[in-house]
Amino acid sequence: MSGRSLPSPEDALRELQRISDAALASLTMHDLLRELLERIAGILGTDTAAFLLLDEVSGDLVAQAAKGIEEEVEQGVRIPMGRGFAGRIAAERRPVRIEDVDHADILNPILREKGIRSLLGVPLLVEGRVIGVMHVGSLTRRHFDERETDLLQLAADRAAIAIEHARLHAQRHTVEAMQRAMLPSALPVIPGIEFTATYRPAAVDARVGGDWYDVFELGRGRIALVIGDVVGRGVEAGALMAQVRTALRAYALEGHPPAGVVELLNRLFASVRPTKLTTVAYIVLDPERDEMRLVSAGHLPPIVVGPDGIGRVMEVEGDPPVGAFRAAIYHEHLVTLEPGSRLVLVTDGAAEVRGEPLDDGLDRLRLMCAEEPDAHALCAAIAAGAVTGGPSDDDVAVLVAEILPLPERLATRWPADADALGGLRHLLRRWLAGHGARDNEIYDITVAVQEAAANAVEHAYAPGTAAFSVDAHNEGGAIVVTVTDRGRWREARGQNRGRGFPLMRGLMESVDVQPADHGTSVVMRRTLEAAARGTLEAAP
Amino acid sequence: MTSSVIHVSEERLDETLMIVLDGELDASSVNDVAVKLRRLVENQAKRLVVDLERVSYLDSAGINLLFAVAGELSARQQQLHLVVVEGSPIERTLRIVGAERAFPVHASREAALAEA
Repeated sequence: MSGRSLPSPEDALRELQRISDAALASLTMHDLLRELLERIAGILGTDTAAFLLLDEVSGDLVAQAAKGIEEEVEQGVRIPMGRGFAGRIAAERRPVRIEDVDHADILNPILREKGIRSLLGVPLLVEGRVIGVMHVGSLTRRHFDERETDLLQLAADRAAIAIEHARLHAQRHTVEAMQRAMLPSALPVIPGIEFTATYRPAAVDARVGGDWYDVFELGRGRIALVIGDVVGRGVEAGALMAQVRTALRAYALEGHPPAGVVELLNRLFASVRPTKLTTVAYIVLDPERDEMRLVSAGHLPPIVVGPDGIGRVMEVEGDPPVGAFRAAIYHEHLVTLEPGSRLVLVTDGAAEVRGEPLDDGLDRLRLMCAEEPDAHALCAAIAAGAVTGGPSDDDVAVLVAEILPLPERLATRWPADADALGGLRHLLRRWLAGHGARDNEIYDITVAVQEAAANAVEHAYAPGTAAFSVDAHNEGGAIVVTVTDRGRWREARGQNRGRGFPLMRGLMESVDVQPADHGTSVVMRRTLEAAARGTLEAAP
Repeated sequence: MTSSVIHVSEERLDETLMIVLDGELDASSVNDVAVKLRRLVENQAKRLVVDLERVSYLDSAGINLLFAVAGELSARQQQLHLVVVEGSPIERTLRIVGAERAFPVHASREAALAEA
């Protein structure tokens, strides 16, 4: 055996390199390890070879693949750190040579039973971390020399990287599934606002995990928009993201103001050890007031494209990432968001290019947000790397909210479902405010319209199938709203019912119930104060 | 679809149960509130004050609930008091349906507690 000529380390490595790269794409961990063993045993001309990988939970080395000593794997041999041949290699993080097994401390009986005489083992190291041990053995007595030891260590270094990549690759599916499970399956349907979002996992296995977006309603017509990025990777980052996302939702739905939500979130996660940082942009959109409140915890600034078609990077002074300082204070930035505006939120992967100032990426993003009219196409382009010049190494999340301008004459159709009433109310308020109605007028008209709509919902023939329509227009200062359903008008009966109609009459100037095609129309009218005064002033 | 969000919290002051509603009370949220109100009302408190100061929307679905609860309470010799901001749209709405004649409406919590 000793007369055998070894390949040069370069040739040997090239040989290993070839398999490990191919392995990343297709081999399972098991096949990868077997393939590596064959190659290494071939290069060194040994009878046996084995991989033991560190089980991070128990701290033991567990036999994962073996050639010539397959029983090791079948019996699930576990070697505690620091004990026996393999345990010593891992604990001391250095190669160990045993020329004569009979005179050595060997824990694993299989090695003796198989008649192995000489052993050489090296640690598997990734970024200075021990992830396992690899050893080769000879059935005849053999002196492994310095050069063979170096060669095995080189092979092991290469194998360690391949194993780590294969592990992350195997994890990828889990992390991706986790990520996807945490993203909203559908974004809320809110009349007058369009939401579009995309998540694209990192092209590089090792970087998958941690990005998310979220959209949910807060009541009173306000909508929460969230985008965030847990710093880190893999299952760990994915799991933390799930916690941060849920905690944020819970605090927000409890009714805390935006800065309060992020402060509570920070206090909760600042106690996590070791420190994990999360960047978050949390926005509360109030479409009835044409404004939003933004809290930025170290996140990229949002892009706003105004009705003028110009994209702007929002100049906000951000606060620290969540988890950085327990006592951090977070600030709200109030921003006007006119109808016809588009708001774009992204994570790092969408705009960051290594070695380039971030502002350059944000500038390209800003222009793209202004130029692409279709929000779906915009999300797809950003996710595909249109800003960064190719698919990002990182995850990418994009969330777009578009505040649609309301038409002069409102013509809407709604499912006959009580849950539709909130959306109708918020849309109507926006429309009325746009026509100069005062707060009390907005309130009165909204209640009256809602009463007519509630009647339509209550008397729908079958839940879900029927629909009603609400049309509104401004007749020279008088708001005229028509609610039409497909049923016969019926005033609600029962002791504590039937207050709808008196309310409508009390709140509007006129309420007319008219038969319509296959149904009933309720036409209501109310002259706005501003218009009424204008008429008086204009009179001679 | 859009569903209204409303918070219900309670405070006990001697024999008075103060229930604070915060949000919008309409057909989509009224059932949740009804369940919570009736659960709270079942205990021994003699008086029930429902604070509507932080309610920004109230329609007949919510008003009907208040009438129903007031009716249930009076059957047990208890009374429902409301707290409503003076001159608010909610006060106007309640006046239109005659709620102010059916149960005491106060302009502040203090006024409600003094009388309740």
